[in-house]
Amino acid sequence: MNIRKILTLSKKEWLEIWRDRVYFTMAFIFPFVMMMVLGFGMSFDVEKMPFVIVDYDQSDLSREYSHKFISSRYFDYKGHLKKASDADELIAKADIRFLLVIPPEFSKNLKQGKPAQVQTQIDGQFTYRASMVKGYVSAITAHFNSELTQDWFAKKRGISKQELQAMLAPVTLQTHYLYNNELKSIWSTGTGMIMLVMLVAPAMLAALGVVREKESGSIFNIYASTVTPAEFITGKILPYILISYINISILSLAAVLLFEAPFKGELSLLMVSNLLYVASAAAIGLVISTFVKSQAAAALIAMIGTMIPAMMYSGLMMPVASMAAEAKIEAHAFPAMYQLEILWGTYLKGQGWQELWPNLFVITGFLLLYWGVAVLRFHKRVKA
Amino acid sequence: MDFAVQANQVCKRYRKKTAIEDISVDVRTGEIYGLIGPDGAGKSSLMQCISGVLTYDSGEIHVFGQCIDSEKTAEKIKHRIGFMPQGLGLNLYPDLSIEENIDFFANLRGVSAELLTQRKEMLLSVAKLTSFKTRAMKNLSGGMKQKLGLICTLIHQPELIILDEPTTGVDPISRRDFWEMLNRLVMEEGMTALVSTAYMDEASRFHRLSVMHQGKVLEQGSADEIVSKSPGWVVEIETTQPDQVLATLRTQFEIVEQLGQMVRLVAFGQDKNTIESILKNLLNSEELQWHFLPIGLEEFFIQRLKNHSATAEKQLQKQPDLISKSHAKNNTADTSALIKADKLVRRFGNFTAADQVSFEVRPGEIFGLLGANGAGKSTVIKMLTGILPPSEGAGFVANQNMAHSGMAIKESIGYMSQAFSLYLDLTVLENIKLFGRIYGLTGQKLKERIDWVIKIGHLQSVQNETAGSLPMGKRQRLALGCALIHQPKVLFLDEPTSGVDPIGRAEFWRILVRLASDLGVAILITTHYMLEAEHCHRLALMQAGKIVAYDTPYALKQSLKQRKGQVLSFKVTHPYRALSCLEKAGYQDISLFGNRLQLFSKEVKDVSNNVINILKNNQIEVKDTMVLQPSLEDVFVDKIETALAKHELS
Repeated sequence: MNIRKILTLSKKEWLEIWRDRVYFTMAFIFPFVMMMVLGFGMSFDVEKMPFVIVDYDQSDLSREYSHKFISSRYFDYKGHLKKASDADELIAKADIRFLLVIPPEFSKNLKQGKPAQVQTQIDGQFTYRASMVKGYVSAITAHFNSELTQDWFAKKRGISKQELQAMLAPVTLQTHYLYNNELKSIWSTGTGMIMLVMLVAPAMLAALGVVREKESGSIFNIYASTVTPAEFITGKILPYILISYINISILSLAAVLLFEAPFKGELSLLMVSNLLYVASAAAIGLVISTFVKSQAAAALIAMIGTMIPAMMYSGLMMPVASMAAEAKIEAHAFPAMYQLEILWGTYLKGQGWQELWPNLFVITGFLLLYWGVAVLRFHKRVKA
Repeated sequence: MDFAVQANQVCKRYRKKTAIEDISVDVRTGEIYGLIGPDGAGKSSLMQCISGVLTYDSGEIHVFGQCIDSEKTAEKIKHRIGFMPQGLGLNLYPDLSIEENIDFFANLRGVSAELLTQRKEMLLSVAKLTSFKTRAMKNLSGGMKQKLGLICTLIHQPELIILDEPTTGVDPISRRDFWEMLNRLVMEEGMTALVSTAYMDEASRFHRLSVMHQGKVLEQGSADEIVSKSPGWVVEIETTQPDQVLATLRTQFEIVEQLGQMVRLVAFGQDKNTIESILKNLLNSEELQWHFLPIGLEEFFIQRLKNHSATAEKQLQKQPDLISKSHAKNNTADTSALIKADKLVRRFGNFTAADQVSFEVRPGEIFGLLGANGAGKSTVIKMLTGILPPSEGAGFVANQNMAHSGMAIKESIGYMSQAFSLYLDLTVLENIKLFGRIYGLTGQKLKERIDWVIKIGHLQSVQNETAGSLPMGKRQRLALGCALIHQPKVLFLDEPTSGVDPIGRAEFWRILVRLASDLGVAILITTHYMLEAEHCHRLALMQAGKIVAYDTPYALKQSLKQRKGQVLSFKVTHPYRALSCLEKAGYQDISLFGNRLQLFSKEVKDVSNNVINILKNNQIEVKDTMVLQPSLEDVFVDKIETALAKHELS
């Protein structure tokens, strides 16, 4: 490998990107916009669900029950309606996500010691959200039930509420969430987005960089010259690594500043791993470029080929441990999972070199593998 | 004899298509070898195989004695060759300046810093590009891009340079400059050059060449040798009544065609005196003037292919008496201009693409708009068809201002370009039907027009084949037919014959001539081929947005003849040495064409004797001497040079 030739290639590539202002701007704006859109858009929190109440009973008890919902931080109370059918349009227009119906005989039944039925109608389009809402509604209802029971016992037996509570619910649960104390999903997805975006963007840029030359015909300069495939691939990838490293550093900072995620671990580890990760992502792009001839195909394949594994098989959407066997293999065969472990480890868990050094080795391994495949697949004497 | 390239029975197939078949080519060291042929002849594939950037299926290629049969063996010769792929400036980097482009190529090739400085300076000055060093490549003219491409290919002092269609798409003067530069460098550096071209008239630039067609070599040797295999003459006859002369000559000669105000006759296998006496018998020699030209490669190519395939011959023989009487129009009544450009100006930002362009095209007239890529031809056509509003001036079609005329007038325009949008997956018939429906034709009328298009384009035998499977020539005729489906009065043709082989072009022009003469269609055509320009009744040459010449081909050539004289052409034994001897002796503007030297002269006899003497004193033998009429290309080089000189003065 001749260093001068590599640097010549890199310099030319850099000048071309730098002077093509549209391309240059896109190279920086695209990852940032993608991170913002996906980070804020892919929140899994079920909070402030808008809802309305139809109270046919209009009693103290029904108001007390309603109040439990109105005061919850998970729900956003939008008002009372006269009859249940009025809510149809609101649900259809997605102005509210569910509706709570309290029947006319609610308090009468309860006071007579009979069971009373309440109804909730939930927008079931997103099953995850619907089951979360159902869970909250059930929990509030259960809590209301136990309060009623406690009141009844307190009146009957004349013992204090505290004593009653100890008798009826001897086990109380104290929950403490580790790593993401407030259970804010943006802390996790937001930092995870760095892994996703910085796999897609470098791969696309690098793939386009090579295929652009194939389309214009300037690739023949390389074919007809004495440059070796290794020199070409290396010279070509360096500017894209530089651009992508600047990008991933911006995004890493944005996670803290804009998503308000904490950073608890070792910064030096993250900085090293970021570099290796964007390099291996760019190398994926070069591998892709050896298969295709048009820029459209390169962009599409780079996009899909990196987005799907990074989204589905990295542990971002679902923990790797709970994946099916084949999916697990897929997850381990891609650098995304290892980088996600590093990101979550450094941001949320406060980890550093001691815990995460093996991941660096794996990512370096992927980088060398992809680089090698690209070099072996790049031929200077082509078939067509 | 040392060989730079020896290719032996090389075959290359892409999935379905055979690109080259059993081709054998030997290139000697120190010569300029040409591959000449239309698009799809296999020139690019062969050059890429020789450069070691493309695999081939069978046969053997040796470059400097090294067999090229794998990626590894190909690497061994790459430091000795320079390869410039097809497409004007496409292998250069648009955002990099001239100097940065050169530096990139040099560093890629590991050229040392001192050598780079020295060679860069030398090459830039030969190419006259030194003062544009810092200009970005994307802002260069076609001719400059072409020269920069050559510099980048030469920067590492290769022993063999392989140039794929370096002269396509540039103006005649840039082409001439390019050949001068190449001649000089090949001579000075002792290089070998393998160059391809689609222009048959460039054949004389090569020492030896291969004429290629559809993946095969038709002939090999020097241009003179090849042409001498079918000896004969071309006679151009000036006349005011081409129809009559044409009819008379047809009785005696096989190949006669009308070119504007001129009849051109090609006679193979007859000597000058025989032809002269036949002409004297047939024509009134006092009224008519004619002159003899040697057979060119284009005529040879057509003749050779005629013998090659019987079907092609049949097609050429069949004269299109196909324009039905019902559509024939009386074109004598109305002679006011159908197309009129009135001081058209178009600016893009502070760049003026068209500057005060004025001309007229009358019914039945074929008008040629010529110029290099980027000279402003397409801009003018766009303004005349109402696609682009002019910044100043106006374009008229049938007296309607195209800037704000309705759809009605646009429907009387037919438009066809090289990139004409035929639907390649539809059959010929489906394509015609589709275009007919787009123009609102239905029922019996549509059927009539479809029959007419098929007849005029000779497409009977391929009606149900997909457009994509047709050869270029037939595809262009189909495109022309589709442009004519709604019987337009005005026809705009933007480089319609680019890349079509000479037979296809001849056939295409035969249709155009009939359209103009029988139907009175006004035709505006742009072309790169000088021989096609001769077909036009009138010509306008554009240079940097301006019209620099506007007249009939005959008048243009006559005025040049009066100013600069005739062309003397000498075939010599040592062309490079002969050139420098003559330059030392004070002769200027000598052009080198392979083994021939050409110069203008008013006193043909004196200059001729003088040149022969000078060369004889230097032990150079003059094998033959010819006196030629100035060609249209000479006219254009002269006009553009004058325009450039004026530009520099102001």
